[in-house]
Amino acid sequence: MPTRDFPRETGALPSIYAFVREALREWGRPEEGAWDVELVLEELFTNVVKYGRKSTRPVTVSLEWQHPLLTIRIRDDDSDFFDPTLAPTPDTTLPILERNAGGLGLHFVRRMAERFEYAHENSISTLTVTMRLEH
Amino acid sequence: MFTTHSRPDGTVALVGRLDAAEVPSARAALGALSGTLTLDCSQLDYVSSAGIGLIVETYRRLHQGGHTLKLVNLLPRVRNVFAFAGLDRVLTLE
Repeated sequence: MPTRDFPRETGALPSIYAFVREALREWGRPEEGAWDVELVLEELFTNVVKYGRKSTRPVTVSLEWQHPLLTIRIRDDDSDFFDPTLAPTPDTTLPILERNAGGLGLHFVRRMAERFEYAHENSISTLTVTMRLEH
Repeated sequence: MFTTHSRPDGTVALVGRLDAAEVPSARAALGALSGTLTLDCSQLDYVSSAGIGLIVETYRRLHQGGHTLKLVNLLPRVRNVFAFAGLDRVLTLE
């Protein structure tokens, strides 16, 4: 299972995209499938960076492929309890001038995931998302 | 990597990935634009919630000045993200 540590900063995103594309290539999956995976990973990873502890510990990302499902795991072993699966769903029907930007990223994850789970124990949080790759 | 290019016809092309890492520099670039604006998204490969937030912020700023914002030539995957956000109904997307 491809697994890699990334520094908890948004500057790590290009390395995360490269990691996704490398894994898809190894599995013989078309690169077109990478965009959706990258979107889910960006939203989850930036959530850890923005709302997690200001720790120097890296964040671990692993990917697992079992046709037709891809499972993404994000492990943060220096974290407080915060369950993003319980975050409120933003109202996407409001007029644009009344919108609040918060929660949109997790809304995207919910839209794209078949499974979205959170576990927290001994300061270790693990986010698991399973998504169907259409490409 | 994200860049903007102003074209002779007055449109502004968005090029690359508009993600959380690129938003600070993209905010500086879009913040310098004024008036009624058309953004050509034919080379915009990717947008996330951070990028959507910046587009909404730009829309609000222009709207306050009595101007409009239009996005044209979106790739289907980018249009889908705007649709997930419910913005395909409230922003002008062509």
